[in-house]
Amino acid sequence: MSKKIDARLPKKNGTGVYESYAAIRSPWEKLVSYKDAMHYVSRYNATLSAACMQALRILVPDYAERAQDMCEAAYQKLYYLMTNYGAYAMDEHNVHPFCRGSFVGALTGDSGDEALLMCGRVQDFGTYRAEKELDVCDWDIVGSELCRATTQSLEATSRAWSEKLRPGTQLEFHMVEAKGCGDCHCRIVAESREKYPMPSHAQWECFGPVATADQIKFTEEKDMVKESMVFREECDYTFTNGTNVEHDDSSVADLMGRSNAAAGYIFPTISNLLRQGKLDEKVVDHVLWCVCEAAGKAVYGEHYSREGLRNWLGAPADLNDGRLMGGHIEMFLQALRVPYEIEAFNSEEVVYVIDRNTLSVFEPKLADAYVAYWYGMTRTLVNAQWFLTEEKEGTPADKLRIKIAKKIDKFC
Amino acid sequence: MYRNVYKYDDMKRKEHMAVRENVGWYLWTHQLVEVKGEDTAAFLDKLFTKPIANLKVGKERYTTMLDENAEIIDDVVVFRLEEQRYWVSTLFATYLLMWMGAHKGEYKVEFENVTSQYHMYAVQGPKSRDMVNALVKNNVDDLKFFSFVDNEVDGIPVMINRAGFTGEKLGYEVYVSADQAEVMEQKLKAAGEPLGAVEVTEFQVMAWTLPTEAGFYYMRDLRHTNPFEVGLEKGIDWEKDFIGKEALLKVKKEGAAREMVGFTVDEADIYIRSKHLGGPGEAVYVNDEEVGRVSKFVYSYVQEKNNGYILARKGALKVGDHVDIHGYEAVITETNFL
Repeated sequence: MSKKIDARLPKKNGTGVYESYAAIRSPWEKLVSYKDAMHYVSRYNATLSAACMQALRILVPDYAERAQDMCEAAYQKLYYLMTNYGAYAMDEHNVHPFCRGSFVGALTGDSGDEALLMCGRVQDFGTYRAEKELDVCDWDIVGSELCRATTQSLEATSRAWSEKLRPGTQLEFHMVEAKGCGDCHCRIVAESREKYPMPSHAQWECFGPVATADQIKFTEEKDMVKESMVFREECDYTFTNGTNVEHDDSSVADLMGRSNAAAGYIFPTISNLLRQGKLDEKVVDHVLWCVCEAAGKAVYGEHYSREGLRNWLGAPADLNDGRLMGGHIEMFLQALRVPYEIEAFNSEEVVYVIDRNTLSVFEPKLADAYVAYWYGMTRTLVNAQWFLTEEKEGTPADKLRIKIAKKIDKFC
Repeated sequence: MYRNVYKYDDMKRKEHMAVRENVGWYLWTHQLVEVKGEDTAAFLDKLFTKPIANLKVGKERYTTMLDENAEIIDDVVVFRLEEQRYWVSTLFATYLLMWMGAHKGEYKVEFENVTSQYHMYAVQGPKSRDMVNALVKNNVDDLKFFSFVDNEVDGIPVMINRAGFTGEKLGYEVYVSADQAEVMEQKLKAAGEPLGAVEVTEFQVMAWTLPTEAGFYYMRDLRHTNPFEVGLEKGIDWEKDFIGKEALLKVKKEGAAREMVGFTVDEADIYIRSKHLGGPGEAVYVNDEEVGRVSKFVYSYVQEKNNGYILARKGALKVGDHVDIHGYEAVITETNFL
């Protein structure tokens, strides 16, 4: 018999992240730990993002065109953000004044990955080459266009950071492996074209090949990790990088709330295309609703998924009304730390008033996507008599008021 | 098949070996915090483990800064510019400034991050003196180690500091106003050309391969260690009061729990996780027991082999020991490889 006591998360885990508990709490007092809540919300957003990506695929059917649109949007957004606000992030990452060139931007990619639970390791970090390998990526179900776009957001960040330093070498970022494409890892290799010349390519063609494939350090499956450093005992539950940045586990909730796959990449692309007149807003709204509604219906279409939700929420076995969907939404909102008020929670109706901007990260169509997604879920979770509707009348613009109740709709 | 990112890289090799055999120069600007006021010496003496008040004007000193638990927060170089005006050269200014703010108390001092006002160029290697002399108005033949003087480069005011982070006996740092950086780079190029000087451009060479050969520490190496664990206890002023002294005295009395050792691996095309790139570092086992973690794993162009540091349980690893690190045979060494 072994007397070994397996490592367990320290009691302080998640302290201070939520107001009352180091956990989220269902309406039936079921507690879910902070760590599980973070994993839950990460995959939740990835799943909704996968639906939103399908909408974009309908709107822009050509792969190359769509990938290019996403890459451009990602690059523009991060370049603007980091040009204007990058100094703080550089300070936070202890970027040294003697560093010249865009390789320093890889520091934010690394800390960001870890906070988004995309755990892995930096394999190389130098002026002319950087390499990062991920073992886990919750976004791996969204679509390879997203993988390409994330590469461009990293390149934009890196360029913007480098412009605040003495002029130096610029790196070109490639995702030479992507979990979303079936690879074992995600792997970014950034190379200086000055040192490692390669033929030029379109922006979206950022999946390689690279010149330094023989410098790739491949971690075998047996050595791969499942958790970010903040949830690993061997790391003392702390993210640490080479420049002495240290983050505790609150960094996960922090970044999870500020960034999600859909808001960060897909919706800015749609906004760009609308601005450019390449898409019609009515069509966008229609497609987005249809796809997200269908995705939502699929979530609880199967009996076992409904049972799974009951278990997740600790819901009473005989409770079979809109409160179940309410519990689902509350758990998500709590995990993402989106402020909400409960106006009604009874067997007849459930009404929430949600902080729209925190939910949507200031991407209005993301809030619409959530409503469509939850609408679809509501129809299959209890039975088709139940609807989730947005109540716009009398609701302030910064609030999202949703009602779950029975109704009859001959055009649903 | 993975190929070593250092061994076969001619550019890194050329830059590294120029410093070892000839002269190399590079932008090496650190963050600078200027501290002034009538209590400056006393204030810095409180913050740092080594004596600061007895520094002469024109001299500098390398020292650690500890927290109350005697953990190293930062290792810095303190310059005494004037009687009551100092520079603290750091790579961790954000934390240093917070720490200074937290401990200012009644001290009559002011401190300011002046990093953006200056750039610093390192000129390192056996011919560095020749290169600096070719550059400046007044030759630096008599400048002693860890001393600095004002000088001029074609009318541009500079401060020449004899110091470096390469382990070279001869090495200088040229401080210049930030708005003159572009001009200074051209002048360094011109002065270095007849000597065959090489501009070091690779971060890995300036921050890792050169300093590691010399047994120097960079950023993460020292995180969550105390001076006795990393061999930085020499020169600590036990007569004065400094933050962390009480805890450090306990370590002194009881002995350090860990120690930093060096290691080499002959097999070239391998990769070992180490803390210098982030994360926990590879575990080092002796008889199935974890005795340490790899702090750094880079390459020595002088020894032509992989080298690095391990932060290990005190006494667990001795020079000459052969250990297995993730399936690779490593030999324990001192931390200085030169």
